Amino acid sequence: MRYAALGVALLAVSSLPDYRNVAQRAGLVHVFPNGGDTAKRYILETTGSGAAFLDYDNDGFQDAFLVSGEGGTNRLYRNDQRGHFAEVTAAAGLGRKGWGQGVCAGDYDNDGFTDLVVTYWGRNVLYRNLEGRRFLDVTGRARLTQERTRYNTGCAFLDYDRDGDLDLFVANYLKFDFATAPQPGANPYCWYRNLPVNCGPRGLAFDSNLLYRNDGGVFTDVSESAGVATGQQSYCLGVLTGDFTGDGWTDVFVACDQTPSLLYVNQRDGRFSEEGLLRGVALDEHGKALSGMGAAAGDYDGDGRLDIFRTNFSDERETLYRNRGEGEFDETTSLAGLAHNTRFVGWGCAFLDFDNDGWKDLLLVNGHVFPEVEKLKIDIRYKDRAILYRNLGGGRFADISESGGAAMRERHSARGLAVGDTDNDGSLEALVNNQNEPPSLFAAARGPTGNWMILDLVGVQTNRSALGARVRVTAGGRTRIDEVRSGGSYLSQGDLRLHFGVARAPAADIEVEWPSGTKQTLRAVPVNRVVKILETEKPTGG
Amino acid sequence: MRAIKLLLLSASALAQNDALIEGLKQFQAGNYAAAEASLAKAQADPRGRAFLALTRAATSRCRQAAAELADQFEKNTDAEVRRLTGIALVQCQLGGNRIDEAQATAAKLRAAFPNDADVLYQLARLHMRAWNDIVYEMFQKAPASFRVNQISAEIFETQANYPAAIAEYRKAIEKNPRALNLHFRLGRALLLNSHAREALAQALQEFEAELALNPHDAAAEYQIGQILTAQQKPAEAARRYQRALELAPDFPEALLALGKWKLTERRNDEAITLLERSVRMLPRSEAARYSLMMAYRNAGRTADALREKAELEKLQKPPEGEFTEFLKKLGEKKPE
Repeated sequence: MRYAALGVALLAVSSLPDYRNVAQRAGLVHVFPNGGDTAKRYILETTGSGAAFLDYDNDGFQDAFLVSGEGGTNRLYRNDQRGHFAEVTAAAGLGRKGWGQGVCAGDYDNDGFTDLVVTYWGRNVLYRNLEGRRFLDVTGRARLTQERTRYNTGCAFLDYDRDGDLDLFVANYLKFDFATAPQPGANPYCWYRNLPVNCGPRGLAFDSNLLYRNDGGVFTDVSESAGVATGQQSYCLGVLTGDFTGDGWTDVFVACDQTPSLLYVNQRDGRFSEEGLLRGVALDEHGKALSGMGAAAGDYDGDGRLDIFRTNFSDERETLYRNRGEGEFDETTSLAGLAHNTRFVGWGCAFLDFDNDGWKDLLLVNGHVFPEVEKLKIDIRYKDRAILYRNLGGGRFADISESGGAAMRERHSARGLAVGDTDNDGSLEALVNNQNEPPSLFAAARGPTGNWMILDLVGVQTNRSALGARVRVTAGGRTRIDEVRSGGSYLSQGDLRLHFGVARAPAADIEVEWPSGTKQTLRAVPVNRVVKILETEKPTGG
Repeated sequence: MRAIKLLLLSASALAQNDALIEGLKQFQAGNYAAAEASLAKAQADPRGRAFLALTRAATSRCRQAAAELADQFEKNTDAEVRRLTGIALVQCQLGGNRIDEAQATAAKLRAAFPNDADVLYQLARLHMRAWNDIVYEMFQKAPASFRVNQISAEIFETQANYPAAIAEYRKAIEKNPRALNLHFRLGRALLLNSHAREALAQALQEFEAELALNPHDAAAEYQIGQILTAQQKPAEAARRYQRALELAPDFPEALLALGKWKLTERRNDEAITLLERSVRMLPRSEAARYSLMMAYRNAGRTADALREKAELEKLQKPPEGEFTEFLKKLGEKKPE
């Protein structure tokens, strides 16, 4: 019995990822400023910024993009395919200063090259990718110019009307103006544990979320008519798209701070209906609105439905909402074993299968909004470590943060998190935007134990980025699902390709349900490779 | 101020007493010396006497004012004059350390003006003062008692100084290991002090120790249930909630907790029965309303779920005119 137990223990250790922070070695060395590091006078200093993986030059390797707050510039790094990233910001035309917040990617003009949106406190920018050589600011031409300063946060491309081109959703946090913002300690919403701190979001005015419809590369603001701008009483941050109701149409979940999170359910007629409360994703199980920051979607329990995970504030729990079918959710945080990490302020998060066992694990990064908390000498810290949960199957997770490698134990004031496979070896890397520090790049020192496949979907009738495509991978008697999505996590963009762990299976069946309605099936596809899937006009396989 | 304005109007209308009008004007403007000089000439009018006493009380001459204040408070038929003189009388009695008299006056004031913020403020001050005096007396007369440590711990708890509270509770337990409630309070302080998982185990021990002293403590059973829930032992937790309800059948939080567990077990009908009771007892509890809404939803009772949703939304709506607008103005900095 003792030997059997030892065997299990050794197996468990060998499948731990041993994440190391390889950012320095990989050339990700620049600091991304974001407000004060010992004190933050304004809430604007607390929310930036996002991170992205995207293959902007179509060489098959994920490049890195990081957004900066005031005092720095956003930066693009080209993946040289040898474990190093070369900074190409200036040549790519992406240098820009300001209070950058989020980033999302998608091929809005269907020309085969991935474009970028960067959100700002100020005005958003749409960058058109010119054949992988450089980017051009086409905000004005695409009619995305904003008429006033807005506190734009998370964004995501999506094809909500299934017309084959990508629309754009942008969350808005609140109305902020340096000239009128109250100072730390000015009112009861400017205090934290008896410390005067930056004010808000409570006490500051709400703003409205934005939806832009794309018609041939020109956008129209349809926020009002589509029902995403009306009566908003939430401070919105992370945007997560997905077909949560299972009807084939993309819905939008928005994580909101100190106010109910929102679930915009696609009505299939160009409008959305906000139904977060009754569907069970607005509040926690105690009926309390938490401080939602980031959000991730994944089928953690293998029932074929997309579940939602949300990061929150300290003295709150993270929240896991299990989809019980047709977009109705139950909070299962405690049952899933995620209820104990209550000292962290969580931001970027992602479902990822780090050991390729076919179960989606969870990674989240943390950091407080009040650097002043360090004065208290309590267990809540401004810079804190990341959290890694291993999915044990059966709807339960185990916290393996402390044994997940040195990178997991590093303390930063982290915000954006993007996950992708930068070297196409089936082991996922994670890019983290740390406030006032260089980013982190988590890479597993120990390769995954299971087999894998990465699916690179290309739409034809569907939007070129294949956003909204639902994929089922069946291997070893189990079916896993996922969707191609823009945005997500916290103001960030992950690899647009889909990664599936398939454990010991040598091959897998793949079914793709394209937003165009076409269903495509590929049988017995060999594992451990990147599989490019071009949308066919007629259903295949079967 | 509204009382003075009304009096000014009525006095002006009658045009009977220039001295009274002048005195009220000066009182309103805060010119107490001038007010006193005028009001002293208007003592034939009960309003003149009332405001003369109020002027003296406002300028730290309670001894001179007390009798008139008491008389006006008891006999004046004008509610506003009674309210003002009553409040001034309580302040004078408090200032003179006549706590019992102040309590008697405050009780009458409260009965007459139950929703008046000024009256409630005076009551709060009065109780705070009484509390401070008694605590001081306890520290003076019984410094070695475990009660001193207990009250110290409770004070530290209100100040969110949990390490100090824990230390004081432990001292109290050391002095009197059989005293009830100490282990319970220590358990709660341990939970508030730390986010670490170890704190759960430590607190659990304390609640168990409380139960060893008093096996009928439903609150301790409930707290253990909460810890077991956090430790992902829902079935064990449910047994504790059940036990808490056996001890105290109308324990709304335990009803809620057990109802939520039944909900996760998909025993919707049982959950609804428990949660409906919980909502009846705690109609303003967002947690109870939310769980009942979810139970109805899961049971397919959409109309009931929507009704609960509407109730929940009412509870979650910020108070009238929220604070927010006021706070924005309060903290606003003028553009340079």
